[in-house]
Amino acid sequence: MKPSLNRKVQLALGSVILTFLVGGAISYRSTIVASESDRLVRHTHEVLERLQDLLSAMRSIESSYRGFALTGKESYLESYRSSILSAQQNEVAVGQLTMDNLKQQRQQQALERLAAQQIQFGEMAIRLRQTRGLDEAANAIRSGSGERIMDEFQGEVREMQNEELRLLAVRDKDAARRSRQTKTALFVLTLLGLLIAAIASWIVHREIYGHGLAREALRDSEERYRVLLDEIEGYAIFMMDPLGQIVTWNAGAERIKGYRADQIIGRNFSCFFPPEDIEQGRPEEILRMTAARGRHEEQGMRVRKDGSRFLASVRFTALRDAAGNLRGFSESSHDLSESKESGAKYRGLLEAAPDAMVVVNQTGEIVLLNLQAEKLFGYHRDELIRQKVKNIIPEGFAERLIADGTRTAAEALAQQIGTGIELTGRRKDGSEFPIEIMLSPLSNSEGILVTAAIRDITERKRSEYLLVRTAAELKRSNDELQQFAYVASHDLQEPLRMVASYTQLLAQRYQGRLDSDADEFIAFVTDGCNRMQGLIQDLLTYSRAGTNERELREISCEHALKDALANLRATIKESGAVVTHDSLPTITTDQTQLSQVFQNLVGNAIKYRSADAPRIHVSVAKNGGKEQIFSVRDNGLGIDPQYFERIFILFQRLHGRVEFKGTGIGLAICKKIVERLGGRIWVESQPKEGSTFYFALPKTEER
Amino acid sequence: MELIGSNAAAIHVLLVEDSPGDVRLTKEAFKDAKVHVNLHVAADGTAAIAFLERHGKHSNAPRPDLILLDLNLPKKAGREVLAEIKESPTLRSIPVVILTTSAAEADILQSYQLHANCYITKPVGLDGFLKVVRSIDDFWLSVVKLPRESHS
Repeated sequence: MKPSLNRKVQLALGSVILTFLVGGAISYRSTIVASESDRLVRHTHEVLERLQDLLSAMRSIESSYRGFALTGKESYLESYRSSILSAQQNEVAVGQLTMDNLKQQRQQQALERLAAQQIQFGEMAIRLRQTRGLDEAANAIRSGSGERIMDEFQGEVREMQNEELRLLAVRDKDAARRSRQTKTALFVLTLLGLLIAAIASWIVHREIYGHGLAREALRDSEERYRVLLDEIEGYAIFMMDPLGQIVTWNAGAERIKGYRADQIIGRNFSCFFPPEDIEQGRPEEILRMTAARGRHEEQGMRVRKDGSRFLASVRFTALRDAAGNLRGFSESSHDLSESKESGAKYRGLLEAAPDAMVVVNQTGEIVLLNLQAEKLFGYHRDELIRQKVKNIIPEGFAERLIADGTRTAAEALAQQIGTGIELTGRRKDGSEFPIEIMLSPLSNSEGILVTAAIRDITERKRSEYLLVRTAAELKRSNDELQQFAYVASHDLQEPLRMVASYTQLLAQRYQGRLDSDADEFIAFVTDGCNRMQGLIQDLLTYSRAGTNERELREISCEHALKDALANLRATIKESGAVVTHDSLPTITTDQTQLSQVFQNLVGNAIKYRSADAPRIHVSVAKNGGKEQIFSVRDNGLGIDPQYFERIFILFQRLHGRVEFKGTGIGLAICKKIVERLGGRIWVESQPKEGSTFYFALPKTEER
Repeated sequence: MELIGSNAAAIHVLLVEDSPGDVRLTKEAFKDAKVHVNLHVAADGTAAIAFLERHGKHSNAPRPDLILLDLNLPKKAGREVLAEIKESPTLRSIPVVILTTSAAEADILQSYQLHANCYITKPVGLDGFLKVVRSIDDFWLSVVKLPRESHS
């Protein structure tokens, strides 16, 4: 982010102040240094003066004791004594002033020594003058000792003065250098300060001027927008500053969101979001995304002023000035649930659906529903919109929309789509009923809405239950029938065998030994037994027909027919029948059972023949459609159409036993087998014109 | 327990059959047999096993050379008797002929799986029955060489 104008101004001001503070510090330091320099100069001058005074005092001492020695005047002696005092004072002063200089201290000690020697010499000259007189004193002075000390003293003083002057020169030079540096530093700092101030003022000027322009431009466009936007009522359109504070508001926004302009301008746009979104930082995230990409579109839940929620389609656009600086955002949104265009279409679609339809968001709230859903659950629309879907589907639906540990919400949903889920629905009156729901995602960029088609499957469940119960009953009755067949095959036959066998034994052993009535009765008993046995055998055959769950295989129908004809070989030979057939197809069925059908039909054709030699033709119809239709045509007795149904019923016979043997089971068995194979059987015939028996088997699906 | 004939060297046949009529018919049929047959009859499966294992009163029972076994028996079913015989190391060498009214494929298959030596459905008529018994006599008691075991 760029620094704001304020920040820039603060920065510039700070820089200038800092510059002058540094300058001040340098000045202060330079003043301190200068005053120190002054002090040192004064010090040097003091030392020089004191040295000069000391030298004068020493000269005065010399001239005084000389004067006394020559003249003996007491005034010289007084001058001598005061000069010694003055020399001593100056000596001490010089000693103190040069305390900080080792070299001067040593010189000063030499001065003290020489001064002491001079005073000693002076004292000696004075004493000589007083005790020995002028000559002695004059001689002593002339020896030149005093003069030599004085010269030496004077040399030392000169040296110390020179040293002080040298130090002064060094210090002066140093002070001058510092003074120059200070001046340079102050000059540079002043320049720097001026420069910063100039730059800052230029920036501030530019900012204020530029901002003013931008603001003006913005105001212009705002004005244009406001006029335009206020005419749009279907869309909430408003602008925000870069932080999301609302700066404009149109009539559509007022209508959709429920706030008047004066209630919302200045507030942050996050107030349109549900609390859970705010918690997750969704508003900030949207601004961030919009700023980064220039625009952002989404569908999501929004909150009105009254707290109610609605599904909105929202578009954000970042507003930037010519320089690319972010000036703010615009948002345009509309309420999807009331949208006059797509919403109406969508609702139209919902209403047209035969099933109850409910649109749910990912928090499990109902967003939309159709009339069928209202009816199904017994609620009015308003009672369900924005309510939890759990109210109408207590379990199994809302849970499916939620991500768990291993799946994201989208994945969780994807797994459910397109598959019927059986759940329980709850009506307003609390009654529950079975439902089946199908989920599909609503076209939505974030995939957060789910359309659920809900179907009441009460009837289906009831049918399923009935079907299961009927199937169970059927199985039980079938099992009983099987059991009956077994009972018939064993338990019924046993006593019958006894009757038959012992009647025969009687007949064999007592034939002719009883009267003729007895023989006749025995014959009837035997015949009855035989027929009974035949019936039981046929019944067994019938009950077993079609029950053998052999695997259906692809077989040649010609083979099946050949097997049948082989079994009938004796009958065919005896009757002189001619059996012909078309080329028969290959079908998927049970060969043994198909063969049984052919055998029974061909056998019947021979059995119920007319006076002519039987001619039998087996063929297959070409236009069977989904069925394979076989026919067995004969030139036999023919059948009166009124018996077409009856002949297929178990043990129903059209002829007396004397004319034709048989129990009347052949066609019943054929019917049972054909029907077990999924087909049907019928006959076309006229008496004396022969019969054609047809049977149709389903064609297996082409692979 | 009935014993037909008394020839010690005769062939012993155990008929396991609960129907007195069939027992009588079988006896009648064996009257004309080529070989002298000692026919022992057990009326149910339990009695058959007792006879074969010489329990109780059967302690002196001979080892049969052939067993005619009905499948539908009281107490212990024929197939159980068959299974026990064929599981027993001492009895399994005795040929077992299943002679029953059942013509059910399941019964036939199961019997052979239990190592029955042959399976015959009782014919309905007297003639047929007599013929079957005669065939047994011809084949099993005359043609076939049976193991002559004498261990106890």
